Amino acid sequence: MIIEKDPSFTRALAEATREAEQFSQVIALHNARKRAEKSDLTFAGGRKARIAVVGSVTLRPLADLVDHFIAVNCEAQIDLWTGEYDAYVSEIMDPGSELYRFKPDVILIVPSERKCRYTGSLLDPISEQRQCADKLVGELLGLCENAHLQSGAEVILCNFPLPPYYDPGPLRSSSLACDYGFRKYVNMQLGLACPTFVHICDAEFIGNRLGTLRVVDDRAWFESKQPFSAEMAVQVAREVAEIVSSLKRPSRKVIVFDLDDTIWGGVIGDDGLDGIEVGTTSPRGEAFRDFQEYLLSLSKRGILLAVCSKNDHERAVEPFESHPEMVLRMSNIVNFKANWEPKSDNVRQIAAELNLGLDSFVFVDDNPAEIEIVRQFLPQVACICVGADPSTFVAQLKDSRLFETRSVTTEDLGRVSHYKQEADRQSQLDMSTDMESYLASLEMVGRIAEFQSVDVPRITQLINKSNQFNLTTRRRTESEVLEIIDSPVQIGFTIRLSDRFGDHGLIAVVVCNFQGAELVIDTWLMSCRVLKRGVEQETLNEIVRRAKVLQCDRVLGTYIPSKKNGMVKDLYCNLGFVPIEGTPGSYALASPEYVSIGSQIAIQRDNP
Amino acid sequence: MTSPQAYEKLQNVFDNFFFGDVKVAPDLEAKDVEEWDSLLHMSLILAVEDEFKIRFGVGEVESFQNVGDLVDLILAKAK
Repeated sequence: MIIEKDPSFTRALAEATREAEQFSQVIALHNARKRAEKSDLTFAGGRKARIAVVGSVTLRPLADLVDHFIAVNCEAQIDLWTGEYDAYVSEIMDPGSELYRFKPDVILIVPSERKCRYTGSLLDPISEQRQCADKLVGELLGLCENAHLQSGAEVILCNFPLPPYYDPGPLRSSSLACDYGFRKYVNMQLGLACPTFVHICDAEFIGNRLGTLRVVDDRAWFESKQPFSAEMAVQVAREVAEIVSSLKRPSRKVIVFDLDDTIWGGVIGDDGLDGIEVGTTSPRGEAFRDFQEYLLSLSKRGILLAVCSKNDHERAVEPFESHPEMVLRMSNIVNFKANWEPKSDNVRQIAAELNLGLDSFVFVDDNPAEIEIVRQFLPQVACICVGADPSTFVAQLKDSRLFETRSVTTEDLGRVSHYKQEADRQSQLDMSTDMESYLASLEMVGRIAEFQSVDVPRITQLINKSNQFNLTTRRRTESEVLEIIDSPVQIGFTIRLSDRFGDHGLIAVVVCNFQGAELVIDTWLMSCRVLKRGVEQETLNEIVRRAKVLQCDRVLGTYIPSKKNGMVKDLYCNLGFVPIEGTPGSYALASPEYVSIGSQIAIQRDNP
Repeated sequence: MTSPQAYEKLQNVFDNFFFGDVKVAPDLEAKDVEEWDSLLHMSLILAVEDEFKIRFGVGEVESFQNVGDLVDLILAKAK
């Protein structure tokens, strides 16, 4: 499998270790590495790390796995010391213990989940249960603190995987008197209270990810007090190594991404502003929009966003400036490179201009060839080739482990304020006693625009999907919508709404037919998300304003009942229309006498 | 799986597992191999389980005296 004399041994070993999932594979790689070290084939870096593993479980083979993953991850030679079975309290409390004589850089503490349980009765009051759990949390963190003070080492505390069993039923998540509830609570409290020198190895999360049924091996516990199944031991060891290597690694600060087929579907240079896929019009467009949302959320936690695209600059910036469904705007991008130079040159240039090391860069592209050129010329840059399916992009970045933060810093304030806004919106709803002052506090802005080609997909989507607030439920194809733009007798306009909490996008569509003295409302629909905020009134104001401009005497409206549009059956009457006798569902409004209805929305017109 | 196949596969596990050269044979015992202590025993069992896609029950892990017993148990499980 691996030939020790091969000069590329370390690289092959690292590669195989990254791929290995099975216990027997990792143990085999561990032994291959040890044999190589014996014959003086050591890691190029030549760094050393002293790792101590203590706990109330049998620490081998877990410690061997930890040793191997740290050695490979950190390219270091490991000195490993393991404590005795269940002797960790005395090893930590005694200043003269072998543990401290070993002078560890890192101490891993693995308590047994079998000691993390409530010993009282299910009937005990919750306060008593909580007291018992808090006591355990205090003891564990006390041990961690002691270990750190005595040795100066970074302390990694393994928390408790959740049991996979149904027992005791519904009480699992409503009581601390069972293993599931107790461990969940203890894990949370450990995390909330742990000081900066303690790093939690989150066995609960790792176990959930693996599947809790695969975490336990009761046989191995009875046989030799193994804390986990062999499979879980591999995952925990991997996580410990990840924590150790993240302590010294520079964090990634910049994400450089491609544009075409990476943050929108299609090629802006070929397909144009109307042709690219982004936004709520199609599933793919929605996935790209979601990816942009994720990039924006990274920027809010302090990761800088930069663009590197093979495009003409003018074309590339267009969507950022004028596509209504784009999430990312020019103001979110710290460096924008759209040209025809090799991407490796561009990324290097961005690093120079931002004055940041290439090892803090992540490069994202859908094209394997571009990934390859950056990998070859700038090996320090972490690359993610996202592939062809935009629905997977967010998950790929979230699972890349490149953007993890171990502590909250001032950089995260942006994110914090975002959550705060959401909370504000909720409390706003709770607090406002009268609707008008609530609506006023929203600081709504409505933007009215003629139909324009870039909006056609969204307009068509609303026309074909809206059922509830839709007076006539007349469906149209994209080309029929396009025809309205140039029609001398049809008038189409849209309304977008935003408030101080965010943008709701394009939410209302109206189509009218100009018939001499009458303006006939052919289509009037609205997204129910913005119901009763005043958009209804402003829409009518706009219809009548246009009727007056066209010198129409009357505005005519029709309500065609469907199974789903009952909510608007009285809309015309409520807005002051008069039913036309003899034609049920038809209403008329005399436009010259109409006085605009006030609302709390500030109206802007794109093309007055 | 035949007995020779089991021995061949077990040899492969041993090659990856032990530092020194350990030749599998029916009468080979843990005490014949310096590295093979009680701590390593469980790891070896887990590795054997992994490679043969079998699982020993509680108590069975201690039940065999030598490699011959182990192979018999593997053959019984791997049926």
